[in-house]
Amino acid sequence: MNTFGLLLFLLALGLLWSRTMSYTVWFLAGEGVLLSLMVWTAEPLTTVTVLVGLGTLVVKGGLIPTLIHRLLRTWPAAFRRDHPLPLWAYGTAVLVVLAVSHVIHLLGPTGVIHHTLLFLYALASIHVGFVMIVARRHLLAQLASLVAIENGLVVLAVSLAGALPTFIELGLLIDLSLAATLMVWMSHRIHHEMQTTDVITLRRLRG
Amino acid sequence: MSSAWALGGPAIPVVLTGVLRRHLTQGWYTVIAVWTSLVGLVLGGLVWHLLMQGREWAILLDVTNLIAATSAWDSVFWLREHPRMAPHRYYGWWSLFWAALLGIALAHNLALAWLAVEFSTLTSGALIIEVGDRHALEAAWKYILIASVGLIVGLIGLVFLYASLRYQALGWATLNYQNLHGQFPHMAPIIRTLATIFIVAGFGTKAGLVPFHTWLPDAHSEAPSPVSGLLSGVLLGLSLFTVVRFMAAVPTAGGVFLSGPHLLTIFGTLSVVVGALALLVQRDIKRLLAYSSIEQVGIMAVAVGLGTKAALSLALWQFVLHAVIKSSVFYGAGHLSVLYQTQRLKKITGLLARHPAGAVGWAVGILALAGLPPLGLAYTEWLIFRQLWQHHAYLVIGLVAASLTVTFAALAYHLMRTLWRDMDALAPASAASEVL
Repeated sequence: MNTFGLLLFLLALGLLWSRTMSYTVWFLAGEGVLLSLMVWTAEPLTTVTVLVGLGTLVVKGGLIPTLIHRLLRTWPAAFRRDHPLPLWAYGTAVLVVLAVSHVIHLLGPTGVIHHTLLFLYALASIHVGFVMIVARRHLLAQLASLVAIENGLVVLAVSLAGALPTFIELGLLIDLSLAATLMVWMSHRIHHEMQTTDVITLRRLRG
Repeated sequence: MSSAWALGGPAIPVVLTGVLRRHLTQGWYTVIAVWTSLVGLVLGGLVWHLLMQGREWAILLDVTNLIAATSAWDSVFWLREHPRMAPHRYYGWWSLFWAALLGIALAHNLALAWLAVEFSTLTSGALIIEVGDRHALEAAWKYILIASVGLIVGLIGLVFLYASLRYQALGWATLNYQNLHGQFPHMAPIIRTLATIFIVAGFGTKAGLVPFHTWLPDAHSEAPSPVSGLLSGVLLGLSLFTVVRFMAAVPTAGGVFLSGPHLLTIFGTLSVVVGALALLVQRDIKRLLAYSSIEQVGIMAVAVGLGTKAALSLALWQFVLHAVIKSSVFYGAGHLSVLYQTQRLKKITGLLARHPAGAVGWAVGILALAGLPPLGLAYTEWLIFRQLWQHHAYLVIGLVAASLTVTFAALAYHLMRTLWRDMDALAPASAASEVL
């Protein structure tokens, strides 16, 4: 289980570091596959866990990366790369990952943490996702950050409670599919209308 | 009453738009408006006795249906004014948004409320995308991204709550408000505090509380006006009352640093101050109303932060009155922007001469928002001040009173400019006449 957590954290770092959006697609697909494997191995296999794992694989390992990939294919090369990560983002990422150990220190006595190492990776992945959403400027990189944060949250739930209730897991999957579809559609429209994929240019609404 | 029964209301228009698609002609707009009103009347009749007892969920349900019905009627006119909008897609998303709002109002479970709030983000976001211009796309992007991130923060709080009660093995029923209230003494205080911070910040983002409000002016101003009415009048309040339900189920000691009431008092006061100051410099008619919503939700949050039964009732009254008034003025603003072919306040002038009946309605709405007696919000605001005084919250009284004065001045200034001729244009003319 901890290995899955470590790999997910490394993929989250990859997402933060990568400027090439096609790599982002692979990192996201990798996270989706890892999460479905985690669902299948975290608890004894039942019909419900098989279904939730399959749903995770289809939505996070298949649907979302495919939607992003198909959109990227229609754009010229100049729109498939993000700007370099600002220097402050590296420092902030290191700081927030270090802050996680303090959270573990605080929550340790409560006995709420089930798998300490997994909790560390999950919370660190969520923090890296938050840094990414602020630091990255490409429209699709922001969507990828949102998915990465949500993926980290699922691992956080495993580290704290074993798993989320099935109803919430399925609700989250439906929610994420709809959100990703809308955001990919919006990215397409924004690129079409404004000839940009840079969120910095979304500054017309002021005052 | 079964929640599924209530959700049957929005299901009919969803099916109707799915079946008719491009054949959804103007006559059907009225059918949907009549259906929405009927649903509101029937459900209102069914919960009438609970409404009379002042049951919170019955009030929230009825206000949601009332504003949904007025929004449906306004949609009939708004769609005629905006022929480029695809009506089947508009009504499809609109009905799903209505369903999401009903889901929030009726939720007896925190996880269910979270899913309904997130669903409301996506459906209302889709309605903003449907407007289709550059501004709407920008607003929808910010809205969906910021609200989703905020709600993920709220979800972290839910996970902590669920984890601390995992020994119950109740599945998602663990997060029923009733169960949470029965079990909260068994939770570690730090878990309760952490969950409260995350949930107040998460749902506070959707309630439009400062500093999580940055999406709100853009989304509310770029949404179709009938949707802006639902967003401002209903969704903000429902999100705040989800926090109220959580705080009632998992109480933290009042007055303690970072407790639920403490956080709401801080964010509420900030919202009133920022909302009021922003009103002074607005140039867009719908952004003006959006900032007024931030200020009004701030007042509700301050009342909720007091935590007394009387203050909670006042917050609920504030929600009801604000929902009716704000949705009406948003509908009015939509028609004004069509009449003047702009949303720029500078160009919307001389309404009294151009459309006297509309001018009277607009003036009543804006003066009600400004807190002028005998219009309703003046009384709830006064009574909230009384509660604050009784609890010796003098700093909050000072900040909120100063902000409400600014609000009154700003709204009165914008109202006068709207009603009479362009005062800026008059200035050089009068100067010239003096010279002559």
